[in-house]
Amino acid sequence: MTVLQLTNVTGGYTRKPVIQNLSFNIGKGELVGLIGLNGAGKSTTIKHIIGTLLPKEGEIRLNGVTLKDNMDKYRSSFSYIPETPILYDELTLKEHLALTAMAYGLDEKTLEKRSERLLKEFRMEKRLNWFPSHFSKGMRQKVMIMCAFLVNPSLYIIDEPFVGLDPLGIQSLLDQMDEKKREGASILMSTHILSTAEKHCDRIILLHEGRVRAQGTMADLRKAFNMPNATLDDLYIAMTKEQDNEQHA
Amino acid sequence: MNNMHNVWKSRFEHYINEVQKYMRFIFTGHIAIVFVFVIGAGGYQYSEWLKVAPANFPAEWLIAVIVGLILAFSSPTTLIREPDQVYLLPLETQMPAYFKKAVKWTFWSQLLVPVIAYIVAIPLLKAVTDLSVSQIWVGLALVVILKYFNVTIEFNYRYANRGQAIAVDRITRALLSILAIQTILTSGLAVGAIYIILFLAYEMSLKKRVAGQPVPYEHFVRLEQNRMMRFYRFANYFTDVPHLRGSIRRRALLDIVYKWIPFHKNSTQTYLVFRTFIRTDDHFYLWLRLTAIAAVIAAFVDIYLVTWIVVAALAFATTLQLKYALLSNGEFRMDMLYPIADDQRKKAVDKLLRVISVVQAIIVTLCAITQPNFYVIPIIIIIVSELTLRLSKK
Repeated sequence: MTVLQLTNVTGGYTRKPVIQNLSFNIGKGELVGLIGLNGAGKSTTIKHIIGTLLPKEGEIRLNGVTLKDNMDKYRSSFSYIPETPILYDELTLKEHLALTAMAYGLDEKTLEKRSERLLKEFRMEKRLNWFPSHFSKGMRQKVMIMCAFLVNPSLYIIDEPFVGLDPLGIQSLLDQMDEKKREGASILMSTHILSTAEKHCDRIILLHEGRVRAQGTMADLRKAFNMPNATLDDLYIAMTKEQDNEQHA
Repeated sequence: MNNMHNVWKSRFEHYINEVQKYMRFIFTGHIAIVFVFVIGAGGYQYSEWLKVAPANFPAEWLIAVIVGLILAFSSPTTLIREPDQVYLLPLETQMPAYFKKAVKWTFWSQLLVPVIAYIVAIPLLKAVTDLSVSQIWVGLALVVILKYFNVTIEFNYRYANRGQAIAVDRITRALLSILAIQTILTSGLAVGAIYIILFLAYEMSLKKRVAGQPVPYEHFVRLEQNRMMRFYRFANYFTDVPHLRGSIRRRALLDIVYKWIPFHKNSTQTYLVFRTFIRTDDHFYLWLRLTAIAAVIAAFVDIYLVTWIVVAALAFATTLQLKYALLSNGEFRMDMLYPIADDQRKKAVDKLLRVISVVQAIIVTLCAITQPNFYVIPIIIIIVSELTLRLSKK
C-alpha cells in the first residue's frame, strides 16, 4: 500500500525549478532515505511534501489525497522534523508537547501517556518547564523529535536528523524509528550520513541536481551501477563522477 | 598607525549611521511627546519647590551623590566586534591607537549626562547655599575632569581585569567622585585637589597593569553586544527593529489566564496566542505602555474632549499594532503545518484583542473614576478597538 506518492513533481522557489520531474513512492512500513549533495534538492523536495511550497507541475498524494483535496487529512497524516529546530521561544517543553497534542486532536490522557515515554527515552524529564533559550542545539532537536513522535502519524518526514544529537540521542531516535516502522508507519529521511542510511534504510533515493538519479534497495543500486560489494559512499561518489564526465564529454 | 585610524573611522561612521537611523523614529514617536510633557511638568514643579526650599537643605550632598553615581557608570564604547578576535589579532601592538580613539569618543559622547545633571542643580545651589558664581563654575569644571578620569579608569580596569569584578571599581569611583564634588562645593578647590591626585594614582596603577596584557576581546565584544542590544530594545519601543529577538519572560502570575482555555483541537491557536502575547516583552509592554499613558491622561486631564480623543487614539494604536504583530507571517512556524483550520489563528488573535481591550477599558476607567462622565471612557475604548479589529486589513 502506498502512503506517499510523488508523480512528476517540478517545483522550487523561483521560476527556475530546483526539482524536476520527481517521481517516487513510499510504501507502508518503509524507511526510505533521500540522499544528495548540498543543493541537490532534498530540502526543496521535503518542502513540497509538507506543503510549504506547491508544485508547479505534477502532484503529491499522501494517504490518497492531495493537500488541495483534503487539507485536514493531508496534514494529520505526517509529522515533520526540520533540519534546524524551530521552536516557540515563549513555550516551555511541556507546552510544546501540549500544543502539538491539541493540534493533532489527542486527548489529555494520551498526551500524558505518550509524552512520559518519550521524555524518558530522550532523557528530558527534568526539563519540562524550561524555555528553549536554555536548551542546547541537541536538546532543541530532541524537542522537535518528541513532538513529531507524539502524534503517531502514518508518515514521518525527517530532515538531517543526526546533526547535533549526541550518540545516545541518535540511538534513541533510531530505536523510535524502528518501533514506529514495526507499527506500520513510513519514514522519509534525508541525510548526509551515508553509512547510517545504508544500514537502516529499506530503500534509497539518490537525488542529483533536482532529479532522481537512481532508487531502490542497496542490491538494486549495486546492480544499476554495476558495482557489487560497493558501499553507499562508493556508489554515491561513482554517481557524481559519472555526472561530471557526462558534462565534460 | 594610519591603518588603525581608518578602522576606527569606518566603524564610527557605520555606528553613527545606525544610531541616527533609529533616532529619527525615537524623536517622532508617541513616547517623545510624553517625555516633553513629563519634563515640562517636572521643571515646573521643581521651580515651584525652589521658592519654598528650606535653607538647611543638604543640596551639596544630594548633587554629589546623584552626579557621583552617574559618573561611576562610564562604560567604554569600543565598537569592537566579534570577528575582531580573529582578524585584528595580528595588529595587537597597534590596538592602543584604536582604543585611544574609543576612549575619547566615550568621554565626549557621555559627558553631557553628568553635566546636565549638574546644570539642572545650579538653581538649587543658588537658592540654598551661599556659593559664589565662580565657585559653582569650578564645580562644573570638576565634573568634567572627573568624567574624564571615570572613563579612562573604567576602560583600564575592564582591560586589566578582563571585565571581572567591575562592581568593586564602580563603587570605589562612585565614592571618590561623591566625596570630591561634596568637598569642592563645601571646602573649596585646595582640599578637593586631593581627590584629583587620588584618581590620578588609581589610573596610573591600572595603566601599569594593562601594559603588556593582550586585548580582552571576549569581554569587549560582550560589552558592545549588550550596549547595542539595549539601544535596539529602546528603539524598539518606537519602531520595529528588524532582527531583534524579543526577550521572553514567563510572568508566572498570569498563568491563571491560561486556565480557561480548554484542551481541544479548536483552541490550539488560542493556547499559543495568549502565551505569545503575555510572555513576549515586545507585545506585552506595548500594551502596558499604551494603557498606562491612557490611564494617566484619563486621571489628570479634566477636559473631556481631550481625554476621549487620546483614549480613542491609544485604543486604536493598541489594537492595530498588536494585530499586525501577532498575525505577521514572516517566519516559518510549526503551527503552519498543523491540521487545523487556516482562520483559527485570526480568530484566536481577535479573541485576545477583545479580551485585552476590555482589560484596558477597565484599568483606564478605574483611573478616571473621580472625573464626571467617566463612564463614557470604556464605551469609547471598546467601540474603537472593535472597529479597528473589523475594519483593518488582513
